Amino acid sequence: MKKSKALHYGEKKKPDYVRKQSYRFSRRALLVGGAQAGLFGVLGWRLQQLQVREASEYTLLSDENRLMMQLVAPSRGSIRDRTGAVLAEDKENLRLLVLPAFCKSLPATLDALSRIVPVPQGTRDRVIRAAKRQSGYYPVLVAEGLTWRQFALLNVLSPQIPGMRTDRSAYRKYYHPGPMAHVVGYVGMAGKNEVDLDPVMRLPGFRAGRAGVEKTFDDELRGTPGTRKFEVDARGRVVRELGSTPSVRGKDLVLSLDHHLQSVAQDRLKEHRVASIVVLDVVTGGILALASTPTFDPNEVVFKVDPTAWTKIARAQDQPLQNRAIRGQYPPGSTFKVVTALAGLHAGVINAHETMSCPGVYALGRARFRCWKAHGGGINVHEAIKQSCDVYFYETAKRMGIEHLAAVARHLGLGRTYDCGLPGQKPGIIPDEAWKRAKFMEPWYGGETVIAGIGQGFVSSTPLQLAVMAARVASGRAVMPKLVLSPDDPAPEWPLLQLDPRHLEIVRNGMSGVVNEPHGTARRSALEIPNVLMAGKTGTSQVVNARNEHKLSPYERETHALFIAFAPADKPRYAAACVVEHGGGGSRAAAPIVKDVITEALLRDAARSPAFASSGSGAVPGPIAIVEDGG
Amino acid sequence: MKMLFAQAPAQKLDLAKKLLLLNWPFLALITAIVLVGIAALYSVAGGAFEPWAGRQVIRYCVGLALLFAIAFSDIRWWLKGAYPLFFCALVLMALVPLIGVESGGARRWIGVGELSFQPSEMMKIALVLAMARYYQWLPPEKIWRPDALIPPLLMIGLPAILALVQPDLGTAALFAIIGAGLMFLAGVSWFYFGAAIVAVVVALPHAWEKLHDYQKERVLTFIDPERDPLGSGYHILQSKIAIGSGGLTGKGFMHGTQAQLNFLPEKHTDFIFTMFSEEMGFVGAMVLLALYLLALVFILFMALRCRSMFARLVAGGIGLTLFAYVFINVAMVTGLVPVVGVPLPLVSYGGTSMLTMMIGFGFVLNAHVNRRVTFRPGEVGGLW
Repeated sequence: MKKSKALHYGEKKKPDYVRKQSYRFSRRALLVGGAQAGLFGVLGWRLQQLQVREASEYTLLSDENRLMMQLVAPSRGSIRDRTGAVLAEDKENLRLLVLPAFCKSLPATLDALSRIVPVPQGTRDRVIRAAKRQSGYYPVLVAEGLTWRQFALLNVLSPQIPGMRTDRSAYRKYYHPGPMAHVVGYVGMAGKNEVDLDPVMRLPGFRAGRAGVEKTFDDELRGTPGTRKFEVDARGRVVRELGSTPSVRGKDLVLSLDHHLQSVAQDRLKEHRVASIVVLDVVTGGILALASTPTFDPNEVVFKVDPTAWTKIARAQDQPLQNRAIRGQYPPGSTFKVVTALAGLHAGVINAHETMSCPGVYALGRARFRCWKAHGGGINVHEAIKQSCDVYFYETAKRMGIEHLAAVARHLGLGRTYDCGLPGQKPGIIPDEAWKRAKFMEPWYGGETVIAGIGQGFVSSTPLQLAVMAARVASGRAVMPKLVLSPDDPAPEWPLLQLDPRHLEIVRNGMSGVVNEPHGTARRSALEIPNVLMAGKTGTSQVVNARNEHKLSPYERETHALFIAFAPADKPRYAAACVVEHGGGGSRAAAPIVKDVITEALLRDAARSPAFASSGSGAVPGPIAIVEDGG
Repeated sequence: MKMLFAQAPAQKLDLAKKLLLLNWPFLALITAIVLVGIAALYSVAGGAFEPWAGRQVIRYCVGLALLFAIAFSDIRWWLKGAYPLFFCALVLMALVPLIGVESGGARRWIGVGELSFQPSEMMKIALVLAMARYYQWLPPEKIWRPDALIPPLLMIGLPAILALVQPDLGTAALFAIIGAGLMFLAGVSWFYFGAAIVAVVVALPHAWEKLHDYQKERVLTFIDPERDPLGSGYHILQSKIAIGSGGLTGKGFMHGTQAQLNFLPEKHTDFIFTMFSEEMGFVGAMVLLALYLLALVFILFMALRCRSMFARLVAGGIGLTLFAYVFINVAMVTGLVPVVGVPLPLVSYGGTSMLTMMIGFGFVLNAHVNRRVTFRPGEVGGLW
């Protein structure tokens, strides 16, 4: 403050300071301005360095600077049978792809490629279409299943063919392809709406389950895709990998099937044009065998990109892609008499002792219903089942009416689909008054009840349903079929049926008589294993009626042959149902097949052996779908 | 001189006079720079006003209103209000670690949602005003004394430390640059600057130890971007590639592949200059830099024409701020200095930096309007 006072006293000094300060500010401001201009000059020099002197270098870098994010397809989980035998697994696949964004001209690239790997016109069109539809940075599959020779040659030539890539990915290999095709199903490229839902599906080599277990358990088997981030150069070659997250392998699946039993069943079916069989574990409901003929090789369907192989199979005679065991709906014929007998006993309209006589024909009003033979008098329920007397069941059905019959049929598992992991099941038909009104807007007629009593008319069932029915009759429990046994609940306790056990016993005895007693309709198919009896019921269902008679070929006019069975008769463990389309009589065509398959099941006793325990599931990183080869 | 003091009370200017005194060409220059920024934001969005360019226009308008309000206000208010404003900003900055909102790993914001703001932005203006106020008060003959250095060093040091705590290295550096620049303009002896440089060189290794790992990493990857091409070095590398590939004349408006293909990080904020020079080339980049330089020259001449130390230093300080922002940002995106997250003023998308700069320019114009005003010692008050 002393100095500041001096400022006011010394009039001479004051202007000096103020002016000096003013000058100093001007000097320094100009200095700062100059420094700022100089530093801007540095920026200008730097920009000149980057944009003029090194511009060409950076332009090159900019072209090269294409970042690519690639999804890594996860390895799909394996499918095994109960013995641990592999039914389906991922195998290495050598593939050829193009990245349209890096091709100078896509057709030219394809031309160059076709000198090494044949590129049919169909594939060519597909590749060009795909290139138009999606981003050019998504690789498009050209060919797969390359030989090592082709693969090596392509890698050598890769610098000369812009946009071309090779990689090793996985393809799906199916074992026991014929017998297992229908149950295991197959994988295929994702459909258009699936791709829209999840872009992962656009990955070449990413296959979704199309049929069978592969379809039902697709989510579990599929796994989680990983990612890889690349920097790629102008030709689409990877300069460096910038980071990745591994894909997670899908879960493994263990089926209740026994591949050996399945093969035996398939072998036995082969002699017929169209036939199917289902074998169930009566206790657990586990499906031990489920075979359908004709069949196909899923390896042919999945491996080739070429869709012609698939079309060929899809259009083949008798439709091999159809799984008759769950999609074939047949009139159950006399096998349905088991249901009618149980329903009649339950309704109290018949009892174990009442006998009827069978003159070979049954009259209802003016209508006449024929029996396949005149059984004569003294037919009780046991004999009626054993000898498959139609008249007895016409009368039983008439007495109780369709509603009661339908209710028991449903209780035995008919007329519905099961949540057992098999997609595309058909429900069959268990008709009643309401069904007919809804379907035809007509009332129910008494004659329709009568023929429903022997499993004809509107009634239809799939072999799987018939097998479930047999298993329920055999066990007295509401068994549900299962294809995948959960490890924590290997032997589920099914609820008891709402039927009198004595009635079930009567019917089971009748079924045992069918196979094991004189005059039984399947006498010739008795088991040859000592002290073990099989119980069963034949069925021969009529296909022709007044309306379609003239339209059908002789083969098509032939009756369907059916047989349901369980064994051992006294302590049931296996239940089976077999349908041979247009096979003739049930006892002649279907029963011997069931006999052989049940014999095999009993000898192997597949159900007793514990199911294969799946070891590690998930966690293992799968192979990388897009592997860049050094070329 | 006596006459000048006598005239001072009569220097109250009415609005019409102020409008006439306003530096309109400077305002046009600012608007031109903002328009360049809006065009760049339009291009970054792939040729759309949404989501950035449209909002930037609104922010410019709000900023313009604030600019006029400040430019036409009485400079004496600000002289009186400089210290309270500074303390206000200081308290708010001190509160940030306690009540601040965390965003991106650092607490820098105060308030909620749209009303949130960064006290450190307020401090940039407040620091300039407070230091101008101090040197306005300090008698010129005392400027050489070491004890006269203590208040300005505290004014710079306290906010710088608070910024480092946040942690915001860039802002702390900015406070130091602006503060040192103001001290230099005010006439502090060369000797002290020489001593400070020596001290910094000695202290640097110790300061290095105190840096956060991410800050060390930034510096290290700046020296060698290939160290971590995926991480912080990636930004610089991509930015250099984008600028370099622009070449002399650029790839054309809305045709910058690097930016449009999303190779550029923060392309609408800190790296907007990269995108601009990729599309407009060397020529465009030089034009933009020339506009900034012209603005700086305008500010310099406005400062030189002021009679009072306060007005001179306010204009000079805002000029320094503008320069520091532009230089650090452009040097950063061209790989000359480490990435510190400084926006390009008036061009980068972001309300805070836009408003800060517009308010700052408001003070520059205020100083310019009041260029003939001088203060009597009574008007200035004491040290406090």
